[in-house]
Amino acid sequence: MSKTVRYENVNKIYAEGTKNAVHALKNVSFSINEGELFCLLGPSGCGKTTLLRSTAGLESISSGKMYYGDVDISTIPPYKRNIGMVFQSFALYPHMTIFENVAYGLRVRKVPNDVVTKKVTEVMELVGLQEELKRNPSPTALSGGQQQRVAIARALVYDPDVLLLDEPLANLDAKLRRYMRAEIRRIQKATNITTIFVTHDQEEAMAVGDRLAVFRKGVVEQIGTSDELYNQPSNAFVANFIGKMNFFNSHIVSTTAKTVVAEIDTTGLRIEIPKARCHAEVKEGDEVLIGGRPEHLKVSAETTEKSIPGKVRIIQHLGSFIRYEVEINKAITPVTFEIDMDSLQKDIHEGDMVNVSFDESRVALFSPKGREI
Amino acid sequence: MSRKYSITENGAETSRIKKFFQKDFSQLIVFAIPMVFLAVFLLYPMGITLVRAFWKPASFNFKFTGWSLEGFRMFFSTRMYLKSLGNSIIVSVSVTLFCILIGVPMGYCVARVKIPGKKLLVSLGILPIIMPSFVGAYTWVILLGNKGVLRAALNWLLGPLGITIPSIYGMFGMILCMTLTYFPFVFQMSYGAFSGANALLEEAGMLMGAKRGYIMRTITLPLIIPSLGAAALLVFVRAIGNFGIPAVIGGNNYVLPTLISFAYQGDGDINFASSIAVLNVIITGAVLYAQKRIVAKREYETISATHTDIKLHENLGARLFAAIFCLIILVFSLLPQVTIIIMSFFKNWTGLLPVGFTLENYASIPKNSGKEMFNSFFLSVTATLLCAVFGSILAYITERKKPKGAALLDLSIMAPFILPGTVVSIALLSAFGGNSAFKMTGTYAILLISYMIRRTPYVYRSVSANLTQLNPSLEEASTISGATWFYTFRRVSVPLIMPAIISGSVMTLTTLLQELSTTILLYGPKTRTVPIQIYNKVLENNLGQASALSTILLIVVFAIIYGMNSRKGSDVSSALKM
Repeated sequence: MSKTVRYENVNKIYAEGTKNAVHALKNVSFSINEGELFCLLGPSGCGKTTLLRSTAGLESISSGKMYYGDVDISTIPPYKRNIGMVFQSFALYPHMTIFENVAYGLRVRKVPNDVVTKKVTEVMELVGLQEELKRNPSPTALSGGQQQRVAIARALVYDPDVLLLDEPLANLDAKLRRYMRAEIRRIQKATNITTIFVTHDQEEAMAVGDRLAVFRKGVVEQIGTSDELYNQPSNAFVANFIGKMNFFNSHIVSTTAKTVVAEIDTTGLRIEIPKARCHAEVKEGDEVLIGGRPEHLKVSAETTEKSIPGKVRIIQHLGSFIRYEVEINKAITPVTFEIDMDSLQKDIHEGDMVNVSFDESRVALFSPKGREI
Repeated sequence: MSRKYSITENGAETSRIKKFFQKDFSQLIVFAIPMVFLAVFLLYPMGITLVRAFWKPASFNFKFTGWSLEGFRMFFSTRMYLKSLGNSIIVSVSVTLFCILIGVPMGYCVARVKIPGKKLLVSLGILPIIMPSFVGAYTWVILLGNKGVLRAALNWLLGPLGITIPSIYGMFGMILCMTLTYFPFVFQMSYGAFSGANALLEEAGMLMGAKRGYIMRTITLPLIIPSLGAAALLVFVRAIGNFGIPAVIGGNNYVLPTLISFAYQGDGDINFASSIAVLNVIITGAVLYAQKRIVAKREYETISATHTDIKLHENLGARLFAAIFCLIILVFSLLPQVTIIIMSFFKNWTGLLPVGFTLENYASIPKNSGKEMFNSFFLSVTATLLCAVFGSILAYITERKKPKGAALLDLSIMAPFILPGTVVSIALLSAFGGNSAFKMTGTYAILLISYMIRRTPYVYRSVSANLTQLNPSLEEASTISGATWFYTFRRVSVPLIMPAIISGSVMTLTTLLQELSTTILLYGPKTRTVPIQIYNKVLENNLGQASALSTILLIVVFAIIYGMNSRKGSDVSSALKM
């Protein structure tokens, strides 16, 4: 039985009323659809894990309401919430076999033995551990990826209303992580249980999630699909957290009904940006940031129109693309910018002077406030 | 769904009552019992003792005698009492120093030098602590007494050098006995620290150009200071609280525990005994404070991603020296055990060699000491079971629930660990002896309570050490799966901390079987234990029977420890840490 999850003005303050009070969640309100795989994404300390643990009932919230479907679960103890959770450390019981680990939630629910065997077998097939189940070893004898599967099976076996995953891939090596995130998506789609997935890795979140919520300092900065967050970030923080974005300190020269013209400081280069890609209320003279993703900038040895000069510091071959780190002008910060090209430019070497130009149809404009993590 | 309706005043009330009954109370009940026990049998008696210390000393009078500083005045103006205080301090400080001087090099030798039989050395090295210490004391009388065989041998060896062995009765004997009894604390801990240290730290020092001696001085030794401090404190506390050794070979050199016992048993003056107890606690407290101050700034967390094996010293000189050094120490510390076993088969041993082989010492045990045997086993086993339950619950509360005042709770559980046994007895007598409303003197109950108060820290420490290493998400995972607190406690927490409970319990059981310093003040005609019987036989100079009883105790204790060590994952030493 999959359910929606809804947050209404959820606040969490640690050590409330003392000098050390920390406001970990600030008026968090949003909802997650039935059967959705939803990612909570943000840097460490942003409140995503707090929200997950509050959803589980392992932490109490200071104010606000949380609903599973129509039921307010804000004050219901965790063991009555019917949720499944996979912990970062997997939290498998070393004193039980993998069968007993997976069966644990069913034993708690006093399910008859034959049903336990049937359900454990089914769920182990789902996570691809039917062979291991026959040997039924202690979880300590399994590899990291297999332990991960046991942990997922244990959380799924009693058909929870909601599945919570707390950085479930953090303990796996890079290759396995990429494989397991696809597995998690497959298993989630097969069971169609509403799932909340917490991670600090934006690539992982984009790959696995139907929708993502980006957190910063206890506040939800933006919610959307991977595509929306990447192509239409609503502020400088999201733009630079989901993928990489180069920011040029600029100021507004003029505005019209449909477009804004901004000039990059100290270069004299002016760029016209449609209002749709203007993520800030601006007027003439305002300080703004022009943002361009590395793949939307270009380096070339020849002088072109509408470009700014820079010096190549480092060239990195990253497989499908080549990254050029270019120092543009010591007077503007940050000094270096990342530019990705599809192929190696034969005539450009480290230390060369180059020209940087913009794909004007892709750059966006942001308010300079709060772009730091 | 009641939230959809507007809740009236009355409705709120009923839902609150409903909520109250829906709450999971198992946790509260489980937690309350040990807390109440602590309050009634530890905090209350300690409070009463503190109060009594400021009452006028009076023989065989438990009623209020008026406020007075007379007890302290009497103590500080009488030469004998002051001398006892001096003796206590000299003995415990020297014992601590000698234990460090023996234990640290031995720990280093076993951990870092390539010598054969390391495992055997480590397990034999723990024996002196688990053997009854006062039993060891009288064997030194046999060996180093005026006609003792060891004295004769040593005089023959050292005589030409002009060194003579001082009399075993008095300070020399006490310091020797206690050092050989307690050095294993330092040995075990420094062995653990030296062998567990991260080799990379020392290798890094070497790569930066440091020589062995320099690394030893700047890296190796500073890193073991916290464990060394803990071990030294443990030795000091044991030494200053030891009753048996001074009672057997102290002669007329009294120390605080013997003084307390004589004040109470000789003069029946519980008020004066309380005053001495308070002084004893102040000294112990001061040393504890000093140790914490020194160690607090030196708590290191070992940061290590990979662990490489430590390189051992392999040159012949070092290996020979280490092997001989360890062997000498071990032989000396195990000599009492061997002597006891030999003695138990003879009538007496007053000259060089024992005379009159006999099995009568053993044959007479059922008749002479059957009751004592039963009492010892009954009391120790019952107290151990109770300690295991209380200790694990208390550890769970302080470690997992982290209530307000957890530090205070921790302190009150650990307090009896550092308090001399005689002080705990005096506290219980102040509260539940004499004219108290619940008079318990001479009952099994008061012995059980004193044992629990004094030994719960073993299980408590061992379990809390285990719990800190246990990821709380193991328990959270169970809660998430729908289990109530009690279900989680039973099916997840307890099985996971079982090894710690067992090692703490074994430590408790083995030390209780040989408990003397608390029992000596609390036993009655019906509740005599084996150690009391041994003590009395020694005083009667019936060494044959004392030895036979001691040998049985040795065998039982050794069997328990051996049985546990062969179990996987249990380790006695975790119960010894502070």
